[in-house]
Parts: sequence; C-alpha cells; structure tokens
Amino acid sequence: MNPIVRWFHQLGSPPYFERFAARWAPIAYGIGLLVMAYGLYGALFVVPADYQQGDSFRILYIHVPSAWMSMAVFGLMAVYAAIALVWRIKLCEILAMACAPIGAAFTLITLATGSIWGKPMWGTWWDWDPRLTTELILLFLYLGVIGLYNAIDDRRNAARAAGLLAIVGVALLPVIHYSVTWWNSLHQGQTIRLFGQSHMDPSMLPPLWAMVIGTHVWFVGSLLARARADNLRRESGKDWVARLAEPRT
Amino acid sequence: MSYEGYVIAAYGVFMVVMLWDFFAPRIQVRQQLRAARMRAARNEKGKATGPRPPEAPLPRG
Amino acid sequence: MMWTAARALMARDLRLLWRRRGDALQPALFALLVVVLFALALGGEAQALAKVAAAVLWLAVLLAGLLALDTLFRGDADDGSLEQWMLAPVPLSWLVLVRTFMHWATTALPLLVATPFLAELLHLPHDELPVLLASLALGTPLLSLLGAVVAALTVGMRRSGILVALLALPLYVPILVFAAGSVAAAAQGLDPTGALLLLGAGLVLALVLAPLAAAAAIRIALD
Repeated sequence: MNPIVRWFHQLGSPPYFERFAARWAPIAYGIGLLVMAYGLYGALFVVPADYQQGDSFRILYIHVPSAWMSMAVFGLMAVYAAIALVWRIKLCEILAMACAPIGAAFTLITLATGSIWGKPMWGTWWDWDPRLTTELILLFLYLGVIGLYNAIDDRRNAARAAGLLAIVGVALLPVIHYSVTWWNSLHQGQTIRLFGQSHMDPSMLPPLWAMVIGTHVWFVGSLLARARADNLRRESGKDWVARLAEPRT
Repeated sequence: MSYEGYVIAAYGVFMVVMLWDFFAPRIQVRQQLRAARMRAARNEKGKATGPRPPEAPLPRG
Repeated sequence: MMWTAARALMARDLRLLWRRRGDALQPALFALLVVVLFALALGGEAQALAKVAAAVLWLAVLLAGLLALDTLFRGDADDGSLEQWMLAPVPLSWLVLVRTFMHWATTALPLLVATPFLAELLHLPHDELPVLLASLALGTPLLSLLGAVVAALTVGMRRSGILVALLALPLYVPILVFAAGSVAAAAQGLDPTGALLLLGAGLVLALVLAPLAAAAAIRIALD
C-alpha cells in the first residue's frame, strides 16, 4: 500500500490521531504565531501610512486575511462534512466540526475590524453593504452549525446533521452573496462603496502575505487542537484514553 | 484625525480572539483528560470493592 | 421559608442555565436576525432605517421573548417538577414569580445589553437610546409576566407554538403601544414620562396579579 494512503488510514485511528495532533498542533500554532508576528510588525511599523486613509489603513492587514479565512474555512468545513457523510469517516466528522468555531472566530474578527475601520473612514459603524451583510449571514451560518452540533447528544449523528447544514450553507452562500449584491444595486444612490478600489503599492504587500500565511498555519494548529479534544471526548470510555490520562508516575 | 484608537481597537480584537482560539481547545483537552482520569479512578474503586452478592442485605443508614 | 425556596429555585435555574449556556445566547441571536431581516426588507438605507429603528428594535425584542417563552415551564413540566411545585409548602404563585424573574433575567436581560449594538446597526439616533432602554426595562418584565400566564395555560399541550403566540400577542399590544410610543414621543420632542409611568404601573399590577393567574392556570392545565 502506498505510504501516503497508509498514513491517511492510520490517522483515522483515534489513538494515532491523538499522538499526531498532540505533536503537531503546538508546532503549527508556533509557526503561525511567528509568521503573524512578522506580518503584524510589518503592518504596524514598516509600512508607510496610506496617503488617503492614514494609519487606519493598517487595519487592513487583519481584516483582509480574516475575511479570506472566514470563507476558506467554511469551504473546508463543507468538504470535510461531505467526505464524512459520503464515506462515513469519523475523523472527517471531527475535523469538520472543529472548523466551525475557528471559522466563526475569523468571521467575528472580520466584522469587528471592518466596523472599526469603517467608523473613521465613512463615519458609520455599520452599513448594509453586500460584503458586510453577507459576512454577517456567514456568521449566523457558522453559529448554526455549532449550535446544531451541540444540540444533539449522539456525537456521530450530531456531526452528520451539522455537516449537512454546512454543505447546504456552502451551496447557498454564493446565492446569498449574489442576492444581497443585487438588492444593494437597487439602492445605488446611497451606496457607500466600503472597500473600493484602493490600489496597494507593492511595498505594502509582504506583511499582507505574511498575515495570510500566518493565519492559515495558525488555523491548522487550532484545527488539530480542537479535533484532538473532540476525539478524546468521543473515545472517552475507551481504555487507551484512560491510560493516556493516567498521572505520570 | 487620529486613527490610533481605531487601530489599537482593531488589533486588540484580533489578539483577544486569537488568545481565545489558543486557550479554548487546551482547556477542552485538559477537561477530557481529567474526566477520563476520574472515570478510571471510579472504575478501579468499583473493581476493588467488588460486586455485592445478590443475597446480601442492602446497606442501610 | 419563601426566601429559602426562592433561593433554591434561583440556584437551580442558574445551574441548569450554566450547563446549557450556549442556549442562553439564542434570544439575542434571534433578535439580531430579526434586525437583519428588517434592514434587508427595508432597503438598508441609513435614513429610512433610522426612522423605524426604535420600532424594529422593540419588535425584535418582543418576538425573541415570545420564542423564549416556550422554555419557561416546559423543562419542569416534562420532568414532573411542576407537579412538585403544586405540592410545595410555598405558594405556587411565589414559585411562578421567581421562575419568571429568572427567565426574564436570562432571556430578556441579554437582549437589553445587546440593544445598543443592535441600535447601531439600525442607525438609531443616539438621543432616542435612553428612552428606548427605559421602555425596554419596564416593558420586558411585563411581557414576561403576561407571557407566563399564557405559557401556564398551554403548559400541558404538545404543539402549542403558534397558539402561544396567538394568545400572547393581543395581550402584548398595549405594552408595545406604550413602549414604542414613548420612544416616538421622545423623538418628536414630546415628554415620554407619561407613557413610561403607565408601563411602570402596569408592571406593578402584573407583579401582583400575573403570578396568581399563572398559578391558577397551571392547576387547571395539570389537573
């Protein structure tokens, strides 16, 4: 058997996954943190202030990577959920459900930083602009998946129900975005183009890429850590967990 | 216009959420391991005292 | 005796709430969703929203509270605790009052806290916010108390969802009128105190009478 395929099968074994996640989560967190630190340092101290937006422009370095993560994580969650539903792979159920809180966190950051950025720029904490509105609905979708997963007692059924919700959500998300964009075009007159074409000077890009990579790596760390907790919870009656939990003599 | 407060607020939100994202799973793992430890201890205690024979009177008081 | 019973009931409710603390967020999330839907339906334009913001916020809180009403007695009815209440040495109406207070504190109070944020989403003029909060502070307990009577009437029923709404909403109309009206009056520069005082008087009456009515309703429903 191909070693990569064998590794995938091994990951599906709960004790193996526990060891894998316990080892790699801190590493991913650490690398993610370092890359983000580099990016944030660049965003705050290296990049010059934007000629139009001044220092508030620095918020972009958090807002944009978080927005991308909020979308990417939702897509990944749906992929894991689809695999879990079709092939009934327990690990994919766990990974799908572990994605949800992280994605919700990034969505929250996106909304909050977008609001904070909007206030000095356009004088308002909130605008019913298509992107912000879609992002808010995305938050509700995430919270729905989390809520449904927590509401059902049996972990496998809960993951499959919430996974189905995630898949429905990912299918509807483009529709939601399109509908809100269309609705917004009806009110053309007062539209504040919140994220208009601001061209970024190439010198301003490296911290942004650092933040994009950093958030992705951090996400892997968080995913593994949360999956580890869920794995332990599901296997809680088993011997290997009891042995693992034994106080080290 | 000073944007300092806004930048600090935005970066602050980011830090707080990232901190939560770091600590929440750690706490969950620790709780799971603790629950497993206590469960194992309860099972050991049960095995030590052994099952009560069916004819023995129920403990009272 | 009554205070020990009240403390015990409150402690139990808080413990149960802590175990399902995710659920405690649901009324606030529902109110937020109502706000989103209104904003989308009205076209999202700041000026149009600002004119109706206070009314929409009141409706969001009212509807969220209506949905939350189901949890007022259902848990205890399902596991038989309600019958124990009827046999308790303390008056049933006292237990109902304590339960209703805890329910209000755990469902309506988060809504009150969320209101300033929701108000920002709807571009509510800032000088209307204090009157809005005052009307909510007086109105939501009233809604909870009247809602308790309706919930008690339907406590035995299986699928009472819409029925509860149909019974409760007519009772809610005067509260909504005086509360939203007080904010509208303030917006026009008139004095809102009259409407707020009426709400206050209604609250005092309801504090005394509603638990009695709800207790009678529970006895009828569980007989």
